[in-house]
Amino acid sequence: MVTIDGLVKRRGGREILSGIGFSARPGRVTGFLGPNGAGKSSTLRVLLGLDRATAGTALIDGVPYARLRDPLGTVGAVLDGSGAHRARTGRAHLRWVARSAGLPRARVDEVLELVGLTHAAAKRVGTYSLGMGRRLAMATALLGDPAVLILDEPVNGLDPEGIRWIRTLLRERAATGRTVLLSSHLMGELAETVDDVVVIDAGRIVADGTLGEVTGAHRTLEDAFFALTGGGSRLTGGGAR
Amino acid sequence: MTAARALAAELSKLLSLPATWLTIAGTLAANLLLAVAFAQAALRGTAATRDVVDVGLASIGYAQAGFVVLGVLAACSEYIGGQIRTTLAAMPHRARQLAAKHLATAIVALPAAALTAFCGVALTALVLGDTPATFGPILGVTGYLLLTTLIGVAAGALARRTLVAVAVLLGYFFVAGPLLRDNLDLAKYLPDTAGAAMWFPAGGALTPAQGALVLTAWTAALIAVALAGHHRRDA
Repeated sequence: MVTIDGLVKRRGGREILSGIGFSARPGRVTGFLGPNGAGKSSTLRVLLGLDRATAGTALIDGVPYARLRDPLGTVGAVLDGSGAHRARTGRAHLRWVARSAGLPRARVDEVLELVGLTHAAAKRVGTYSLGMGRRLAMATALLGDPAVLILDEPVNGLDPEGIRWIRTLLRERAATGRTVLLSSHLMGELAETVDDVVVIDAGRIVADGTLGEVTGAHRTLEDAFFALTGGGSRLTGGGAR
Repeated sequence: MTAARALAAELSKLLSLPATWLTIAGTLAANLLLAVAFAQAALRGTAATRDVVDVGLASIGYAQAGFVVLGVLAACSEYIGGQIRTTLAAMPHRARQLAAKHLATAIVALPAAALTAFCGVALTALVLGDTPATFGPILGVTGYLLLTTLIGVAAGALARRTLVAVAVLLGYFFVAGPLLRDNLDLAKYLPDTAGAAMWFPAGGALTPAQGALVLTAWTAALIAVALAGHHRRDA
């Protein structure tokens, strides 16, 4: 369970988040949608304890990330890139993360198998393609078999097969009662995957409800999104942050 | 328990980074080459001393650069490929994580420092055909290099960029430090001059023990600043 309440983040005199609040519930996939620069990554960074909030709270199972007793067993997070040093092998990267939580070595091979990276485990991360880097980040997130999965733009850089794989994985996680929160600026990719939708624009939440509620009278989620965020002029370019 | 796991993770990181091994091997090799050069100079009688330990440790003034780089790399490698996010997700208690990184780096640097100091003196003894009269300065050098490495880790954690941290530290140890040493009486309490007293007490006003104490205090203070900064700043 993810609960965000009254979150404000100022950086360099600019207000990036203006008191946002929403929750992501167990057993459901929550889509956190918004144009680039709307504040999605900033919200997730505060939620993961990477950045400090100016005001408000972002809690996981009722506590801030920094106070989780078993962080890897509670939350798995995938932000942009691989989150791994390019000079290390994929397996060496997963091994140090596993050591930090006292997880057995066998678990490293399990997650490598799970994300389809076993063949590249002995290669340096610097030789990985963008998609392989994303798979390594996913393997890292799944190491502790966490109850909450948080993903920033998970389909960025993935080929169609990878997108299909990640959709199936997220649905499976939710079906087993886990919480899935994913951010995206790509509406088409999401409509089939999410149960709940939270829309953010310029640091404010502009819609929050089930997929049906947010789509409302509009033909598709994409149409609803453009109506809510005032057009698609900002929807060019890619990347998080 | 958690602290032991953090240490295991930080050790695993350091040992699986090729740059760690390259830096240690490069420093050891460069120190041996310099030791031979200094020993040759002593044989020709162009050096001020022919004492095996003094000649054998003369190269340390240069080899310390390798230990500074080792410490900086340990800290700054976190900021390559967004690894810091993985680190903080796995170990959100930031002060504990960075303290574990200092300890892990010390565990790796200690044998490397002892080996560097000992091999330099041993090779010099071979070239000069003489035996060392005392081993005290070798211990002093080992401690000095260890503390210098830790200063590298703390400075790297503060700067977050390898080039910035290395430039500042080498600028201090090779340019600013020597200048201050010659022109300022209080310079004997600065980290480099106090540290040099740990193994080369001839010119300094501090005894080896005093030098060790002063350099340890500087190192502890810088680590404390690095821990506080790591705790407060956005990643």
